[in-house]
Amino acid sequence: MSVWNYVVTAHKPTNVTHSCVGNFTSPQELNLIIAKCTRIEIHLLTPHGLQPMLDVPIYGRIATLELFRPHGEPQDFLFIATERYKFCVLQWDAETSELITRAMGDVSDRIGRPTDNGQIGIIDPDCRLIGLHLYDGLFKVIPFDNKGQLKEAFNIRLEELQVLDIKFLYGCAKPTIVVLYQDNKDARHVKTYEVALKDKDFVEGPWAQNNLDNGAGLLIPVPMPLGGVIIIGEETIVYCSATAFKAIPIRPSIIRAYGRVDVDGSRYLLSDNAGLLHLLVITHERERVTGLKIEHLGETSVASTISYLDNAVVYVGSSYGDSQLIKLNLQPDAKGSYVEVLERYVNLGPIVDFCVVDLERQGQGQVVTCSGAYKDGSLRVVRNGIGINEQASVELQGIKGLWSLRSSTNDPYDTFLVVSFISETRILAMNMDDELEETEIEGFYAQAQTLFCHNAMHDQLVQVTANSVRLVSSTSRDLLDQWNAPSGFSVNVATANASQVLLATGGGHLVYIEIGNGKLVEAKHIQLEYEISCLDINPIGENSNYSSLAAVGMWTDISVRIFSLPSLELLTKENLGGEIIPRSVLLCTFEGVSYLLCALGDGHLFNFLLNTSTGELSNRKKVSLGTQPITLRTFSSKDTTHVFAASDRPTVIYSSNKKLLYSNVNLKEVSHICPFNSAAFPDSLAIAKEGELSIGAIDDIQKLHIRTIPLGEHARRICHQEQSRTFAVCSLKNCQTSTEETEMHFVRLLDDQSFEFISTYPLDTYEYGCSIISCSFSDDNNVYYCVGTAYVLPEENEPSKGRILVFLVEDGKLQLIAEKETKGAVYSLNAFNGKLLAAINQKIQLYKWMLRDDGSRELQSECGHHGHILALYVQTRGDFIIVGDLMKSISLLLYKHEEGAIEELARDYNANWMTAVEILDDDIYLGAENNFNLFTVRKNSDAATDEERGRLEVVGEYHLGEFVNRFRHGSLVMRLPDSEAGHIPTVIFGTVNGVIGIVASLPHDQYVFLEKLQSNLVKVIKGVGGLSHEQWRSFNNEKKTVDARNFLDGDLIESFLDLSRSRMEEISKAMGVSVEELCKRVEELTRLH
Amino acid sequence: MGSLLADWPSYNPHNFSQIRPADPSAQPSKLTPITYHPTHNRTLPPPNQVISTETRHILLRRFYQKSVEKLRPKRAASDNLTPDHGSKQLRGAFADGCN
Repeated sequence: MSVWNYVVTAHKPTNVTHSCVGNFTSPQELNLIIAKCTRIEIHLLTPHGLQPMLDVPIYGRIATLELFRPHGEPQDFLFIATERYKFCVLQWDAETSELITRAMGDVSDRIGRPTDNGQIGIIDPDCRLIGLHLYDGLFKVIPFDNKGQLKEAFNIRLEELQVLDIKFLYGCAKPTIVVLYQDNKDARHVKTYEVALKDKDFVEGPWAQNNLDNGAGLLIPVPMPLGGVIIIGEETIVYCSATAFKAIPIRPSIIRAYGRVDVDGSRYLLSDNAGLLHLLVITHERERVTGLKIEHLGETSVASTISYLDNAVVYVGSSYGDSQLIKLNLQPDAKGSYVEVLERYVNLGPIVDFCVVDLERQGQGQVVTCSGAYKDGSLRVVRNGIGINEQASVELQGIKGLWSLRSSTNDPYDTFLVVSFISETRILAMNMDDELEETEIEGFYAQAQTLFCHNAMHDQLVQVTANSVRLVSSTSRDLLDQWNAPSGFSVNVATANASQVLLATGGGHLVYIEIGNGKLVEAKHIQLEYEISCLDINPIGENSNYSSLAAVGMWTDISVRIFSLPSLELLTKENLGGEIIPRSVLLCTFEGVSYLLCALGDGHLFNFLLNTSTGELSNRKKVSLGTQPITLRTFSSKDTTHVFAASDRPTVIYSSNKKLLYSNVNLKEVSHICPFNSAAFPDSLAIAKEGELSIGAIDDIQKLHIRTIPLGEHARRICHQEQSRTFAVCSLKNCQTSTEETEMHFVRLLDDQSFEFISTYPLDTYEYGCSIISCSFSDDNNVYYCVGTAYVLPEENEPSKGRILVFLVEDGKLQLIAEKETKGAVYSLNAFNGKLLAAINQKIQLYKWMLRDDGSRELQSECGHHGHILALYVQTRGDFIIVGDLMKSISLLLYKHEEGAIEELARDYNANWMTAVEILDDDIYLGAENNFNLFTVRKNSDAATDEERGRLEVVGEYHLGEFVNRFRHGSLVMRLPDSEAGHIPTVIFGTVNGVIGIVASLPHDQYVFLEKLQSNLVKVIKGVGGLSHEQWRSFNNEKKTVDARNFLDGDLIESFLDLSRSRMEEISKAMGVSVEELCKRVEELTRLH
Repeated sequence: MGSLLADWPSYNPHNFSQIRPADPSAQPSKLTPITYHPTHNRTLPPPNQVISTETRHILLRRFYQKSVEKLRPKRAASDNLTPDHGSKQLRGAFADGCN
């Protein structure tokens, strides 16, 4: 039963809705504060750019965010109001680095019609009051007393019912607001009111201005000495004050974001709906406004917020594309743009659709989202893995090996990078300018391939080539000693550590050499029955310079063997089975546990527990990492050892909670790597791949990695087809001609590796792609893409016509095989019993795939079901159909084969406006609705009465605080068979704010345990601003507010791991469970995402 | 144009002085600051700073204000009655006229 659900965020919201700049963390520091729907981020301005300080979860959706400076305070306070009518005032306590709540409260009214145009929260520039417009016809005032304390709030009746914007005017003796509103004839005006705090009422203000631009939507108050307000329209911009009125025409555009540049308010940055950035200048003489000027600066993401930071650097926050840090240059670039993008910050929002695929066929899901909107539309490939941030690269073909060397044993940094090729060895070194340049180590032999090299004790270096082992002084770089391979034999494989060399020559000879001070001593030599394929003597014992074990991989018998050193006595032999030889072996230790890793030529990897005293191998496990030979190397990141498996699917192997975990790396094919830790590139890796050598820093282990594929148009639906290895998307492109704006809609086919458009099917004028699936039909082996469309005509309220298009991918092209006209929008398509199930306006319709006499195919209507307002979301399981309705929640239908009919079995009688549905199991269905709630309903097939059987019982309710656009079954993590998390079913969801989250259905006992943990955590982890977790997670819509049930807040539960030990112990005591056990159980949950 | 773009405000000349523009073709960065989980007691404000809206409804407030005003001359009230009365008669007359 999937009643007990655990909801957790895998990718936090990235849609930037608000931003502000001020001295928040100290009077001297300048901060940028960003709101991302349910979180705020505090950044510090530094010489190197924005430095992230803190990510603060807020128990609410942020409606307004303002910094203000109460009288007598040295630094700014932060005012936050949430959509559910809570507000708080936060102050930064620099001593403890904590956020302190100065004030909070509830500003809801029992009666009132919530505003249509969003909530407005403003603070008087002279800090006399906070003004809120939350309900039509009401203006709420929270007054400050003269000590900066807030007093009881009160409402004032506001005559204007359709308010578009309200701002405080600067420099007024009495607090004065300016209101932009629309009258009942749709004309727009502004008027001003003074707030009479004593009388709790408005007094007619100093001026008003009637009949503005019909698209006027934004007010910008101008500071003193100029004062007044700028009114931004769609065709004009107006400056207005008691004494002046100036207007300029603009190119038609919708401007929703502005940022003030100068403190005196003479320049403003404006961003329009096409992402064009303008500078608006108020020209003035002797404090009198003489006119307005507007200049085009360049293009950015479509901005939702703009904050001028410092020294010509500006933050552009976006809801529709990546947010950006830009610099305004004095001179235009070649394209005439004054805007230079310094940095881009990932934003997945709005995720309108996504699919879960396993492109690498590794058993690990990747999410491919339709992200962004308009020109910033993109696909994002999101996967759990490790990113390498490339810092430098150079073209170099044919690399056969890579090693880094220090110039002395005690040097903290690597100096040399040894790059080996088929018939030469080149040495790169960091020069004084932190650049890599070619150099020489005189004692090395450069005219042959290096098989291995390493730093040795006593400031020495060791190099192994096919013919010799050379010992070289790392200070003088001169040759100190040399061991030559016996004539007629050449060294095939070799390995070394600081004091030992182990090598194998043809004929199965295994030679063990000890490194002395200026001396190489052949200490042992044995012959094995077969050729040796790989070796390792990585020291994992107490002595970090010496290994008492050697691992050897063999040809012919396909075995891996453990020998003791220095005696070369065989301790263990493990046959690997199969016919693929081991290519790389590695002795390593993770979290105090010793392992032998053994990689094969076909991309498989064995791991064994290694008993370091006896050499015994146990707990054999095999995983598939790729398809090509793997090379294993250890590296360190943040003082922890990890293993890099270089292959066609590069992987990092690490350990968590004494379990080995495998994480993908965002690189295509890596042949060799070595750690390279230099002053210029600390904690980095040198990577050889596809004809280039690069240096890169490794991201944090276990993080989502996101790849962006910009489309330049808005993708709205996506689907993957395994058979043709393609994606198909329904997209729309906004085309701006000189006179008008038009939209074009397409079905696009993309290669699933290169993500390039390989074929396009243009839809008709006014025809929108609404749904897309890949499916096959009974009696037909082909796999098709089916696309459902709607003709969205300007004069129609609901589409009355649509099409179902059936495409076959042939030679990488979309071939239209069949089309069927429908009597409405095809909102959803599902493969269903070898047929096609479509949701068309109010109706669910089933189509058969019929063979005509001429051999062609057609969709033929079989049966249908009426009874919905709009059937928007459909999921199926067997013969059951779940419908998510526009406004009538979820209903359950059944297809009856014999009768060829679809009948309703049950429905949820609540009036939920659905945004997504999914089937968790036979009886439990998951829904998301437009007040940002999740809920589950249960089928009551065993109930006694028809009435009860016909009712879907609501069993779970939860306020997610996110608008979910899609659920899909799947997982973002590799489900290893040995992990407990592997057995927990999960559903992934994607939201408007760019959140990717997981709903995991837990066993009942685990749910009960975690519920107890959650209730204890709520007592320890407080809501920022005093906001209540219980209220935040309560299911809430216009009709009701009820406590969350049968859903757990995974974000809260997993924050247990971030607590201090003493807090953990506090919870452990309350739970009666050890801290270790709690950590283990919570860590298991973190592996779900 | 040049003059409009000159003199960008500078609060601290060091800010962004050493920033290097990212490669435009590079993938966007993903800043992840530490997540804040307060465990201290000062997430709750001082008791007098838990703000609510005055309970008296805006309409009642107006009535009370009006009633205070009504305590003054009564003539205003009788003045008000006359047009009411008149309008009633007018409606009746209008109705009669229709019939």
